[in-house]
Amino acid sequence: MLGMVALFKKAAIAEERNDPKNMKGYRKYFGKKILWFVITFIVAVVLNFILPRLMPADPVAAITGKLAGSGATDAAAVQRIYEHYQEEFGTNKPIYQQFFLFVKNALHGNFGLSFSQYPRPVSDIIGSAIVWTIALQFPAIIVGWLLGNLLGALAAYIRKGFDKVLLPVSLFLSNVPAFGMAVVMLVLFGVYLKIAPISGGYAFDMIPHLSWDFIKSVISHYQLPFWSIVLVSIGGQAVGMRSMSIYELNADYVKYARFLGIKDRKIVGYVFRNAMLPQVTGLALSIGTMIGGALVAEIIFSYPGLGSAMYSAVTAADYPLISATTLIITVMVLVVTFILDIVYGFIDPRVKAAQYE
Amino acid sequence: MKNTLRQVFHSSKFVAGFVIFVAIILMMIIYPLFNPGNPLEQIGVGTFAKPGTYVSLYDAARTKTDTLRLPDAADNRIAAALTDEDRVAMVEWFTLMGADISDLDTADTDAMIELWHETYDPTARPKGMTNAKINYYKRLNNAIMDLGAADTITIAEYNDEGVLEESKTILDTDYVNTKNVANVKTLPLGTDNFGRDVLKELVSATGTSIRIGLIAGIVATVIGLTFGLLAGYVGGWLDDIIMFITNIFTVIPSFVLLILITYSLGQEQRGAAVVATVIGFTSWTWTARSVRSQVISLRNRDHVNLSKLSGHSLVRIVVMDILPYIASYVVMAFILQVSSGILAEAQLSLLGLGPKTTQVPTLGLMMNWAMLYSAHTNGSWWAYFPVILIITLISFSLNLMNTGLDQVFNPTLRD
Amino acid sequence: MGKVMLEVRNLKTKYVTRFHEDVYAVDGVSFKIEEGKSLGIAGESGCGKSTLALSMMGYYFPPLHYMSGDIIIDGKNISGLDPDEVRKTILGTEIAYIPQAAMNALNPTQKIIRFIEDVVRAHQPKKDKKEIRAMAEQRFAELGLQPGTLDKHAVELSGGMKQRTVIAVSTILNPKVLIADEPSSALDVTSQKMVIKMMRELMEKGYIKSMLFITHELPLLYNVTDDIMVMYAGQIVEKGTAKEMVFDPVHPYSHGLMGSILVPEEGTRGQKLGAIPGAPPNLKKPPNGCRFAERCKYATADCRYTSIPEKPFGDGRMYRCLKGVDELKEVYSGE
Repeated sequence: MLGMVALFKKAAIAEERNDPKNMKGYRKYFGKKILWFVITFIVAVVLNFILPRLMPADPVAAITGKLAGSGATDAAAVQRIYEHYQEEFGTNKPIYQQFFLFVKNALHGNFGLSFSQYPRPVSDIIGSAIVWTIALQFPAIIVGWLLGNLLGALAAYIRKGFDKVLLPVSLFLSNVPAFGMAVVMLVLFGVYLKIAPISGGYAFDMIPHLSWDFIKSVISHYQLPFWSIVLVSIGGQAVGMRSMSIYELNADYVKYARFLGIKDRKIVGYVFRNAMLPQVTGLALSIGTMIGGALVAEIIFSYPGLGSAMYSAVTAADYPLISATTLIITVMVLVVTFILDIVYGFIDPRVKAAQYE
Repeated sequence: MKNTLRQVFHSSKFVAGFVIFVAIILMMIIYPLFNPGNPLEQIGVGTFAKPGTYVSLYDAARTKTDTLRLPDAADNRIAAALTDEDRVAMVEWFTLMGADISDLDTADTDAMIELWHETYDPTARPKGMTNAKINYYKRLNNAIMDLGAADTITIAEYNDEGVLEESKTILDTDYVNTKNVANVKTLPLGTDNFGRDVLKELVSATGTSIRIGLIAGIVATVIGLTFGLLAGYVGGWLDDIIMFITNIFTVIPSFVLLILITYSLGQEQRGAAVVATVIGFTSWTWTARSVRSQVISLRNRDHVNLSKLSGHSLVRIVVMDILPYIASYVVMAFILQVSSGILAEAQLSLLGLGPKTTQVPTLGLMMNWAMLYSAHTNGSWWAYFPVILIITLISFSLNLMNTGLDQVFNPTLRD
Repeated sequence: MGKVMLEVRNLKTKYVTRFHEDVYAVDGVSFKIEEGKSLGIAGESGCGKSTLALSMMGYYFPPLHYMSGDIIIDGKNISGLDPDEVRKTILGTEIAYIPQAAMNALNPTQKIIRFIEDVVRAHQPKKDKKEIRAMAEQRFAELGLQPGTLDKHAVELSGGMKQRTVIAVSTILNPKVLIADEPSSALDVTSQKMVIKMMRELMEKGYIKSMLFITHELPLLYNVTDDIMVMYAGQIVEKGTAKEMVFDPVHPYSHGLMGSILVPEEGTRGQKLGAIPGAPPNLKKPPNGCRFAERCKYATADCRYTSIPEKPFGDGRMYRCLKGVDELKEVYSGE
């Protein structure tokens, strides 16, 4: 670990020396971020590999034992699976060889075969689930983020009555767990008002294909999960944006700009830009938690994404599927965080300046 | 100290949060005194009994009756017999039969029954109607006919020779006082899918969940505080290593780690305390970060330097000269850890990775059971809604307290 | 006597706290500054000098509120004008402000040139970017700032550079009056000197016609301004030329203030260095009598109950004390 830290420092210093002056700050920032991304990624893969193996029992035996106990498959199938996985995981080989095997397989997108949907490959299950998750969660989180920031900014700027109502409501909303919001939305709009379907990604009697009917079905099934994630994200973002904006509105540069005769509307523009920027980092830091909550919301709606895949994997003790979904989700969160960090570096000049210190 | 406390209790947000939280804690302590017993005891057979007061029919039949002549008794009886669904079905029938329903009020039971008598024809076979539906209407008709015919109910018991013998006749004007009935049970929140008293379970689960949150919060705070203090105060390579680890675990989503760890532990190892500890182990990074940055800003202050010059030990300096200054941050972080710990348990349980199910209920497990048995789609709101509400209220109250503290200790955020 | 650039007559303003209490921070202040002259205001922190600076802008927003009095710039009374009118025609062009904490006075995420554009266009909406840039580059060069600064963000500048940039931006529209609130207090000695030099240059080149300089460092005022006023608890307690104020203070508070600092000049050597004990009065309920009475070692019972007007003496000087000038001087010389 120490060696790695030293390496990281050395790399950063070398970069500082070589770069032309004007881009130095940015290069250093992005270099740092990429290095962190790679290191974190490696650690995440190692953890994903090692945590299940820290358990006293042989994972393959434990898995197949569970399978045999559940009586879901016949003895021959269990035996087949056992052999397949001993081969796949190489549990009889030394741990470092197991690790490289694991990495090699993962790099090829080979996560083995699913137990619960045997003999379907895990990569196939994940491949079809991830599309739904990405299509649901990212638009929902972004819309929630935008709306939340807008409301927070309004609350900070208008204050008085609007703020008095909006703040407690946002605080309360931000504390409703994502699954709770999902259940309430489902019951309210799906069961009682019957204005949207309550389960699945499309009508259960349809096969995914490109047709107007299918798209309509997908859109109507999209509504409840989407809005429940949006509502939950709004609350937290609004609260954060409000306090950031109030902080910025009291900043010295606001007073100074006013005394130079600049219009309030223009100054409000400065303030919200500055308050919004930390919210980008805020999003980067909370994206993991948000995705976690949204995955559980997927389960409530039986939405065919990674959350539901993970749920069925857990209930069916489908070890390869669990391992693969957690890895994919980690990668997803890492990539999003990385992108947000990079975007932030470009839009906030403070980042560049901070690199000179 | 006293002054700080007074300031804290002047913050309306803190007070509001504190009051809600204390109310929940009080409920947790007081309710079991009135309703003792095992919260997981299955008192009901069958799933999801509605909230309400349950009167033992067996005991009521044997209770001394009083006669009350209430003018609207008959109407109420008929109204209760026809459910909303029956009424919708009746209107459907009327429409099929071409009856004029423009002035019909479905809540007007007399009018509905009158129209039913006029339009129902047992031989009618409306086009496209399934047999099941036709049979349903037959049953409905019988029920409606019975309504009019109701006069007495006769109770018969087997006598010593094994022959049924009339023992009691119940008139429609007979009433029993619930105080005289041997067994009356009020279930304010009904029963869950296993036939357990939901309120009792909820109170117990709230207690367990708060304990889980506290354990998770304590574990996370102890780890975060230790790391933060070491990194911030000692600095150097120790700081590098600790921040390296902290940065990595900030980015790797903690719920993924939670899932991997709890799954690896296996069902048998997962007691509530174990789950709580695991949650704590995956959520210390924020405390470590904020403590570190606070300590760094403190470590070269005059009073700390003075202590160093006086040759005080590291432990003494940390305890006497650093901790008091970061206490407010640590408390705030702890409050947030507790609230996120409770939420993490709930999410794990929903995934089926919560604490072992045989010992204690937790809020997450209750939610999980309700979802497994489709409480949300079959209208059994009492099985899940109170759970969501309690989780939200706990988290809301803790966050309110945190915001209040924040405003007291970080005056720039003050309104 | 030169043309009067700034005249303030009996100005009263107040702060409203978040508990809805009024704090009378500027309570009946009057003074004049002539063309080409500079006036310094000295006082302890919390005496109302920064509030006075804000109040003179004629542009009020919470928590500061205007109560009464006149602010006359070059013959034009700006108090009572519509706020939007003040913003458009007065701020930045007639009167400009350099804030206390210049470190944070610039929007951190905006390039300096963008801010200058916003400032200029707030008053001359038609001016195009090229013109503004040319104007800014020329002014920056004249004031010894690198034109490259224009394309930087505030966060990329050092403290001294930020302060000099702020001064250049504040004066870009050649205001008649410049109000500088502790422009150099937070800087190191070198930067301080550069800032002072810059302000002198602005006056000499005629970009600003008069200046009000606020500080708690009296020696600085002595070097920078022509006249000095001493402020205490929202009121001016003494006014005179810089030399008079430093070497011949009359009011017990000014006297104490001079005693509390080291002035490296003849005649002050050997003088006791001691802060004035006690704290200024609560301005939510200002005392009826002399506001300094509580801390004044020469105070009598009368001082606490008699309201004291401004008393002129000498050559255009003024002080606010119950005792006579000679009486006070006698007491001081006896120490």
